[in-house]
Amino acid sequence: MNTEAGRQATFTQLAQTYGTDLYRYAMWICGNDALAKDLVQETFLRAWKALDKLKDNKAVKSWLITILRREYARTFERKVPKFTDVDSVVVPEDSELEPEEQTEMRLLRQGIMKLAPKYREPLLMQVVLGYSCQEISEALDVSKSAVMTQLFRAREQLKSQLRKDGVTGNVHELF
Amino acid sequence: MSMNFSEFKRLLGADPRNEDPEFRRACQSSPEFEQEALDAALFEEKLERAVALPEPAGLVEELLLISQQPAASPRRSRLLKFALAASLFVAVGAAGIVWKMNPGWDSVEDYLVDHYRHDGVSLLTRTDEVSTADVQNILAELDIQASPALADIVGVIKYCPTPDGKGVHMILNTGSGPVTVFYMPDTEVKDRQTLAFDDVEAVLVELQSGSAAIIGPNAEEFSSLQALIYDSLLPLPGNS
Repeated sequence: MNTEAGRQATFTQLAQTYGTDLYRYAMWICGNDALAKDLVQETFLRAWKALDKLKDNKAVKSWLITILRREYARTFERKVPKFTDVDSVVVPEDSELEPEEQTEMRLLRQGIMKLAPKYREPLLMQVVLGYSCQEISEALDVSKSAVMTQLFRAREQLKSQLRKDGVTGNVHELF
Repeated sequence: MSMNFSEFKRLLGADPRNEDPEFRRACQSSPEFEQEALDAALFEEKLERAVALPEPAGLVEELLLISQQPAASPRRSRLLKFALAASLFVAVGAAGIVWKMNPGWDSVEDYLVDHYRHDGVSLLTRTDEVSTADVQNILAELDIQASPALADIVGVIKYCPTPDGKGVHMILNTGSGPVTVFYMPDTEVKDRQTLAFDDVEAVLVELQSGSAAIIGPNAEEFSSLQALIYDSLLPLPGNS
């Protein structure tokens, strides 16, 4: 990355490749559209300033997530916003679904927001960011076995919550 | 060595997309395993769809501005200040607002505008069935009670962040249309302050416990509503 043009090209690629995924991840951990965008902006601002320190392109995703998580912790360590109305963000995307499917989506999203952070975060890393259990283990600094347990429990809680929220019968029939 | 069903379910629940050859073989090792894997795959499709929030318009373009303006921080909150400078007027000056600074917002006005732009308009059109009990239960968590006169006109109520922790976002159905109220139990406001942004006007008022922002098309119509809110949002007995 010797030239300004090279830096800009690298940054453009990062923004285009990871911007949306980082926003989705931020949105799910803070539950607030405007603040999620702020977090992503701040993450990329810091990434731009430190771009020359990036030596391993394969690690760029983890690098960005680490910046975002630190920024989130720094900003909201005392007061975590309580917005949980992700439906207002996703409703247009669901308009093609049948009413029953829209209800399932809404319940599922509510269930995700109700998950304890120790379950929600690894689940989002896996589903939104495509992390492997090993990558989650490294990012969260917990054992791979613990990550697998958290992921298993996260999914079990979501299925259980769906049943509790009004969908009766075998969860297999639901999906 | 073959995998037992319990272990298989645990692995499946932890990572349904696991491509490990032994795991994939196990997925087809019996009808029971096969059905479980199929159910897990269907659930995963739903889960992936649920978390796949749409790409916000202009996000990437905003990010790219970072690399084109190295000397300036493009943070939205800073852009917001410029927007506020252009559109916000303070009707009552001198004595200002006292607040505990929050890392997320630089001021109560910043918070108010940010919050309203986040979901203020969308909530105005929401039609919930809110009972008096719903209103009382939500406010009780903040050690506040509402008079029936206020609770009866609440059309939407939900928790929300404030500069100083948890608060409540309400839509009140008034004679002149829906009006937004942010109740901020721990934010102090000294003297009534009026501001305007976008196409709405807002007043920040101190209450008997905490403070509130009242937001609607015309702040001149807020005086009776402000009195109602002042008289209606009271500390629960034993919490004054």
